[in-house]
Amino acid sequence: MYDMGMAQSVAAEAAGKVSARGVQVFYGTTHALRDVDIDIADRAVTAFIGPSGCGKSTFLRCLNRMNDTIPGCRVLGDIRLDGEDIHDPRVDPVQLRARVGMVFQKPNPFPKSIYDNVAYGPRIHGLARSRADMDVVVEKSLRRAALWNDVRDRLHDAGTGLSGGQQQRLCIARAIATSPEVLLMDEPCSALDPIATAQIEELIHELADQFSVVIVTHSMQQASRVSQHTAFFHLGELVEYGDTETVFTNPVDPRTENYITGRIG
Amino acid sequence: MDRRQHIVTAFDRDLETIEALLARMGGLVEAAVVDAIRALETRDEDLAEAVRRGDKAIDALEEQIDIETARLIALRAPTASDLRYVLATMKIAAALERCGDYAKNLARRSTVLAQMPAIDGASGSIRRMGDAVRLQMKNALDAFIQRDLELAEQVRLGDHDVDQMYNTLFREFLTHMMEDPRNITACMHLHFIAKNIERMGDHITGIAEQVIYLITGNLPDDERPKADHTALAAGDHTQEGAWQSP
Repeated sequence: MYDMGMAQSVAAEAAGKVSARGVQVFYGTTHALRDVDIDIADRAVTAFIGPSGCGKSTFLRCLNRMNDTIPGCRVLGDIRLDGEDIHDPRVDPVQLRARVGMVFQKPNPFPKSIYDNVAYGPRIHGLARSRADMDVVVEKSLRRAALWNDVRDRLHDAGTGLSGGQQQRLCIARAIATSPEVLLMDEPCSALDPIATAQIEELIHELADQFSVVIVTHSMQQASRVSQHTAFFHLGELVEYGDTETVFTNPVDPRTENYITGRIG
Repeated sequence: MDRRQHIVTAFDRDLETIEALLARMGGLVEAAVVDAIRALETRDEDLAEAVRRGDKAIDALEEQIDIETARLIALRAPTASDLRYVLATMKIAAALERCGDYAKNLARRSTVLAQMPAIDGASGSIRRMGDAVRLQMKNALDAFIQRDLELAEQVRLGDHDVDQMYNTLFREFLTHMMEDPRNITACMHLHFIAKNIERMGDHITGIAEQVIYLITGNLPDDERPKADHTALAAGDHTQEGAWQSP
């Protein structure tokens, strides 16, 4: 029995938490993403790297249908979360975004208290039945975001009063408060100093025990430090996808090699 | 392998600095091997002394390569082929340094041997073996500088010949020692010299393997043919009791 279970979980992992087939994105007439096929592993960190405008953030936003909010943006192809088509008309994008959380480049706490920033998601999704329940969710989320010890005595101060690194951890706490299955991070450290960056990276490691984490980063070192899988995008194409170790020691495609070694491509 | 330039040109200059140091080190080691063997053959004690003293410069270059590569890793965080280049360079420098040590040891023994009667044919055989190793070394370094995979493979397989020359010499020295025990001291020194040259061959094989790693990203994993069977040969002779405790 146990062996069967193992075999099934391995099979599920092989198929990926998120799998995309033939994804194309157009902004008006601009063809931003061409034919992306990818399987993103569960309980692991996947990094998307590539030069500006290569489509990596565009693809990241496809995964929780954030592109729906951009006028003139069309997404074609098949994206599945646990085998379920996320574009199915029965899927509520708001519910989807509770399952696929997102953290942005700039910390963007709501102009509310620290407590309410974290409680916002669980409240609108009805995830906490009582005030005591909510207290538990808030504390747990802040602890997982490694922010609890910094803010436990001032939960009702404004979230915007925190330092940049703390604000970003607050945004992560907010994103994980709804217990998502996938966490998307779009350059989460680009506005942070190295100490705050290291804290976020440590956090990413821990989060990967529970979720599938996908991170877009311009820092190759960051990609190599935090991820187990790396995808390299170039001019709207997914050029190479593989184990981070292989991509950084012996990439297959010369375009990947040129990009990660900083050569003129 | 792509040898296009980096966007940050200082990165290219750093790599060129390391490559130049390694090329210079390779040149010095090659010359040390040639000179040490010539000193042995011509009983030229001044040349042997020069080889011994020259080893300091080789060691210093290795140290400098270590410093430069460490600096490059710290400051430029090399990846992919750049990373393999840095790793391969460090290992090649270490292998060359060992070869330099062997050449120095060879020169030291040649000074001792110069005081003894010559063993028939020995220095000629040693020179042939030394020539073979020197050619292997030259080819290995050329393969590195030119990123020539085929040549590196050729060097890796070529060590077989050096091993066979060593086997032949090993038997030759045994014969001399059995014929006349007064040859034992000289033959022991000559045997260590042959063994040192054979070890150089192994380090050169290691260099060729690093070149293969640098170019392909993988170390060759198939067993290469080995021809040093002297470890087994010793068993036969000890039974005859001809040379038990050297």
